Parts: sequence; C-alpha cells; structure tokens
Amino acid sequence: MSAYRDEDEDPRLHGIKTKIRVVPHFPKSGIMFQDITTLLLDPKAFKDTIDLFVERYKGKNINVVAGIEARGFIFGPPIALAIGAKFVPLRKPKKLPGKVISQEYILEYGRDCLEMHVGAVEAGERALVVDDLIATGGTLCAAMDLLERVGAEVVECACVIELPELKGRERLNGKPLYVLVEYLEV
Amino acid sequence: MQSSVGVCSSSSSNWLFRFSAAAAPLLPSSLTFPISKSSSSSLITLSTPSLISSPLRSTASASAADSSHLTEMASNDAQDPRLPRISSAIRVIPDFPKPGIMFQDITTLLLDTKAFKDTIDLFVERYRDQNISVVAGVEARGFIFGPPIALAIGAKFVPMRKPNKLPGEVISEEYSLEYGTDKMEMHVGAVQAGDRALVIDDLIATGGTLCAAIKLLERVGAQVVECACVIELPELKGREKLTGKPLFVLVKGA
Repeated sequence: MSAYRDEDEDPRLHGIKTKIRVVPHFPKSGIMFQDITTLLLDPKAFKDTIDLFVERYKGKNINVVAGIEARGFIFGPPIALAIGAKFVPLRKPKKLPGKVISQEYILEYGRDCLEMHVGAVEAGERALVVDDLIATGGTLCAAMDLLERVGAEVVECACVIELPELKGRERLNGKPLYVLVEYLEV
Repeated sequence: MQSSVGVCSSSSSNWLFRFSAAAAPLLPSSLTFPISKSSSSSLITLSTPSLISSPLRSTASASAADSSHLTEMASNDAQDPRLPRISSAIRVIPDFPKPGIMFQDITTLLLDTKAFKDTIDLFVERYRDQNISVVAGVEARGFIFGPPIALAIGAKFVPMRKPNKLPGEVISEEYSLEYGTDKMEMHVGAVQAGDRALVIDDLIATGGTLCAAIKLLERVGAQVVECACVIELPELKGREKLTGKPLFVLVKGA
C-alpha cells in the first residue's frame, strides 16, 4: 500500500494529491511510477498546482524558470509567465540548436547529460529549477550545476512530487527544495 | 542588454514587468519572417476580428487616391501589433539538425517575457469562447505552449508523446518521417468522444506529426477544432496534410 503524507493542509493539496496516478512497474519492475498526466486532465487541480508555486515565487525577483525536459516543460512555463520570468528549457543532448553547455550526471546504470543554451541565462540572475518530480536528485543537481556555471543564483528547486525515501533532497548541495506532495511506500 | 520597465495592459492583467528593449536574440536571425498571413479558419467566428492575424487584407486593392477607404482598410487589416516582436524573437539556426535545414528556434522567444506572454494571449483570445475541452500538445515543444493555453481557457491538457514515455494504456499512431517512421502515443481515457480539441505544437513543417495527433484524437471520437502553431513553413505544405482541419499560425517562415 502507499500513501501520500499529509502536510499542513492548503485545501487545494488534497485535490492535487488525488489526481496523481500511480502506475506500478513502469518503466520497469519494482518502480511505482508517479503519473502527473491525470492531474493535467483536471483543469482546477492543474491550475491549483501552478497557483501554489506562483504564490510562493511571485514578488521574489525570480528572473529565470528553468524547466527540465520534458515534464518540467509542462509546469515551468505557466509559472514563468505568471511571475514574469524567462523560461529556459534544459534538454537532453542534441535537442537544442546552436551553442550549448552540457552537464553529465550519473544514472542508476550509466550516465546522461543535460544541456542549456549559452546566453540564455546571465550571471547574477535568480533562478528556479522546475520538474514534475524529484527522485534521486541527479537530474536536478545537473540542472543546478548548469545554472551555477553561468553565474546564476539557484534560489530553489520546485517539484510537484518528492520521493523522500530516495533522499534526493540531500543531493541538492544545500539548495532548498519545495514540493507539493510527498509519496511514501507504506 | 538594455532593459526598461513597462506597463502591459492586456485584457487579463495590468502588471508591471521588465523586458528587454530589443528582444536580444542570441544570434542574429538570418531570415526575417513575413508577418503572418494565415488562411482564414472559417470554423471559428471571432467576435473581434482585428485581434488576430487572419487575413482581412482584401485582394482587390483600393486606388491610392481613395485615402479614406484605405484608412478604413488599414484599421481593419491591421496586423496585431504584438506579432512583429514575436516574429523577431524567433531565432533561425542554419544547418541544424543537418545541412540545409534552417531551424526555427523558439527558445529565444521564451526569453522575452512580453513576447512569450503575447504569444499565449493570441491563442487564448482566439479559443477562449470556443468551448474547447482538450488542448493536446505534441512532445516536447508543444508542452511549452499547450499548458498555458489550456490553463487560460479551462481545458484539459493532454500530452502526445514519443513511444514508451507514457505509463499505462496508450493508443499509438505511426507516421512517416523523411527516412523511416515514428510513433506518437496518447493515453487511453484522457480524451472522450465528443471532446472539442486543439492540437498545439511550436511549428508545422510537413504536417506529419500534427496529422498523427489529429488521428489519435479522432480515433477516440474527439472533434479536432483546429491545429495551432507559432510558426508555419508554408513551402512544405503541411497545411494540406491536416485532413481538412483548419490551421492557425502566428508567423510564417520563408
């Protein structure tokens, strides 16, 4: 059985939690996949999700929202638009045209790489990193590295879901993490 | 980079924001886009036709002497004033992903907060009163434009994905590439029969991808009301591949 941990309850969180679908054994045996597509099918719950982030970051002088391909592209732009920040896509290799910088990171088996456009983010800019979920934190960590390498300040990482048992929070080099929902195997 | 503070007055909000005085593309564009002259999309009636870039320009041009008529024509024909900035914010990268292809890079548009907001607003204004229940966005750049539109018009957002990305039950549609084929997938149950759907992507080239998306939606009984893209490459004639569905775009690439 599994459960979503109850936090302080902004009343919108319950609606959000119940809309996330868990798909067992995807992409492989043993993984309980957190599927946010069902959240996107509920316009109120999707809007509430965005509003919760926007309320947190509006007026905090955030210049950049960096979203991680591909599900970070769903949550990042609405937040960016609402708070008046640029949106910067962080992508798998060879997707971004023109000059990029790359950051490699470790997977369970093997490595992967995240890329960002040269010139998209400037030194001194205040950035958020957005993804749908944090698991081990490897991808978020690579994203933060890219931003810091060009001299941006990563203010916070923001995800809809955290899998706390995978301790991704600890991999973020002290950067704060804000999530709406935690998923625990009970 | 020069920046200035301006007040944007739009129908949705009046908030102060900072924007670059010049959209500051990362590389100079090698092409300038002609301002959109999209073909009319007769399925959708617009309450304020001047809002959008539908071609109200008549092919019969008035004589130069008839200035009052021209003035009236000009105000009806006015391109939406937001379009030039959107157009110039798009960066063209030559020979990507391979020689001969002039890649239309929308990431520079996303760096211009006003132009990005205007892009979304132009679509939202067109669709908000059309009873759209589904916005289907094609992976991955359709994920950037689709959700803000869906949120603003109160529609579901449905991601149309490459194979093996969506968990659970999916339906698939194969489509042709220049060399070989690819597949697009949609979740079973995401869209219901009778849903009124938009398909969103950043760009239409040959139309193969959009066509696959249309087919997936129609297979579950949805009605595809329109396809909407930021950019069209008209020479590739993608518009003709949409099985008769209308296409709305903001800018056309030469």
